Amino acid sequence: MAGKSGRTISNTPDKSLKSRLLCWESMMILLFILVNVLCICISPTYNIRNVFREMPKYLIEMFLLFPMAYILVLGDIDISVGAIVCLSATMASIATNNGVPFLVAAVIAIVVGMLCGLVNGCILTMFTELPPMIVTLATQIIFFGIAEIALGSGGSISLTDTAGYKAISAKIGMVPVVFFVVIVFAVIFTVILSRTTFGRNVYAIGSNRVAAYYSGVPVQRIRLLIFTATGLMAGICALFLTSILYGANTTTGKGFEMDAIAMAVFGGISTSGGKGRLLGGIISGFTIVCLRIGLGQINMHPQLILIILGILLIAAVLVPNISMAFTKKKTA
Amino acid sequence: MKDKKSILGKITASREASLMIVLIILCFVIQMRNSSFLTPSSIGEMLKNNAVIMVMTLGMLNVLLLGGIDISIASTLALSGMSVGMLIKRGIVTNTFLCFMIAILIGAVCGAIVGLTISKGRVLPIIATMGFMYIFRGAAYMVSSDEWAGADALGSFKDFALNSVLGINNIIWIVIVCYAIFFIVMKWTKVGRMVYAVGSNREATMISGIRADRVEFFVYLIMGILSGLAGAMAVTVYASAQPNMMYAKEMDVIAACVIGGVSTTGGRGSVGGALIGALIIAIIAKALPLVGIDAIAQNTVKGLIILVVIVLNVVTQRTMDKNVLKGREM
Repeated sequence: MAGKSGRTISNTPDKSLKSRLLCWESMMILLFILVNVLCICISPTYNIRNVFREMPKYLIEMFLLFPMAYILVLGDIDISVGAIVCLSATMASIATNNGVPFLVAAVIAIVVGMLCGLVNGCILTMFTELPPMIVTLATQIIFFGIAEIALGSGGSISLTDTAGYKAISAKIGMVPVVFFVVIVFAVIFTVILSRTTFGRNVYAIGSNRVAAYYSGVPVQRIRLLIFTATGLMAGICALFLTSILYGANTTTGKGFEMDAIAMAVFGGISTSGGKGRLLGGIISGFTIVCLRIGLGQINMHPQLILIILGILLIAAVLVPNISMAFTKKKTA
Repeated sequence: MKDKKSILGKITASREASLMIVLIILCFVIQMRNSSFLTPSSIGEMLKNNAVIMVMTLGMLNVLLLGGIDISIASTLALSGMSVGMLIKRGIVTNTFLCFMIAILIGAVCGAIVGLTISKGRVLPIIATMGFMYIFRGAAYMVSSDEWAGADALGSFKDFALNSVLGINNIIWIVIVCYAIFFIVMKWTKVGRMVYAVGSNREATMISGIRADRVEFFVYLIMGILSGLAGAMAVTVYASAQPNMMYAKEMDVIAACVIGGVSTTGGRGSVGGALIGALIIAIIAKALPLVGIDAIAQNTVKGLIILVVIVLNVVTQRTMDKNVLKGREM
């Protein structure tokens, strides 16, 4: 790519076979295969049928991964998504139990999620000085709190009419519907982030917000849009979660934000903004889903699984950092 | 213009003073609604129940001053508290002082690991501590081996929180000592000023010869030590040790700091502010049922108050900046 000044701007990635094989995404694919081999070795019941059967409850967190990747690329963070999932799952369940038809309940779940995202986005774009970590921390407490009030003293609700929900937790052959929905969203979000002007703007904001602003990128409008979209996706996640749990309680969605961030970071998306690709995040998402299914099948203590995920998360960032430090020392 | 500054102006210029006024108004309103609020025993009880949050707020103050964040503290607390609980339950250690030392040691090890990962491994604090949040919480479950230590298993250890010296509960003494130490260290010692310096401008302090990564390591180490201490305190105050204890309470600690005017981007905040922030959190939790708000709505109100405080913060900062500019034009 030669600029007008005659200089060659080398920000287009090197497309040689070697660099393609050594990129983070290829490593992720290798890891994905390794994890699957490992699971097959340790668990006799780990086969494709069982994986698809147990997949939905882990797979729904991928809905949060897609918008979270955008938010991380922007250099922001949103830790309220788990609470949004809880609130919209609660609202949808309450609506269904009051005799509202499934489609309306689905719309309620999505709209509630979107409104929550809009609140986050409005506060963050109106008061740009505020750190997103703290704002979404506060809204997280509020959203969980509203759900708590709505659920009442019992703290949980179970669906009385599960007809509509059964439809979206159904299977086509042996593949659950949610798998196809995730794939569709994965394609949409990946294409928008990597192939459109909007996606490039997101990267521009993440790399240098001020510079992006002065070159005419509508920074705050894009942030508002992405935070609202995050809420919307959380609503969709809530809908599928309700179809698995047949209800909601005060702990629904707790820790989802951490899982989504972990998937993204593990997939090579930097939390400091402007770096990483959604493809890596998606592969790492599937890797974590498979690992969880495999470890769950051998009845590993759920907390031990979390320890392994925690170590993987830190290692994913630590290892490249250390290797970079070593190569720097060599060249110096 | 400066000497003409009124008392009101001076008060609004200092964050701690304006927070103090908020605190006093809050106390006054609650006292009006319910006269059982401001009695010595009620205040003592409130401080005792919030001692854990108050101690950890000091560590979080340091972490936030550096522009970092630590969300693994509740897990560190659970690990140290659970270890102490199991040691007592199995009858291996029964000495109260020794238990506290072990808890602090466990906290220090956790803090050192976090600190090394962040300062030497250059992992972002939010990511590193998120990972350790899982790891330490999981370790707490492993230590507990799915058991928990109840009041009857804790023996003489739980009496520590019931006894008092000079009319003040032991737990409150710990809080007072911690705050006194940190007040002096942060204000008048080299180490304390280094934390402020690194938080305000990391590059500049590195050029002027301060080892920023060492300060960073030290801050997370302190955070770990305080969380470990808080773990032992939580076990004696609540007379039980469970692996899921104080789950998600790191948010309360961060909220206390933010309400107390500690900037999350680093460099701004004080021990006094953190104390007032922690007290406001404690009073809100204590007062909401007293003024007739359902316990179930407490979290929502708490979240709203945090949101309002941080937004007000920005608005006052903006008007202050505007006024400064006005002064220059003249």
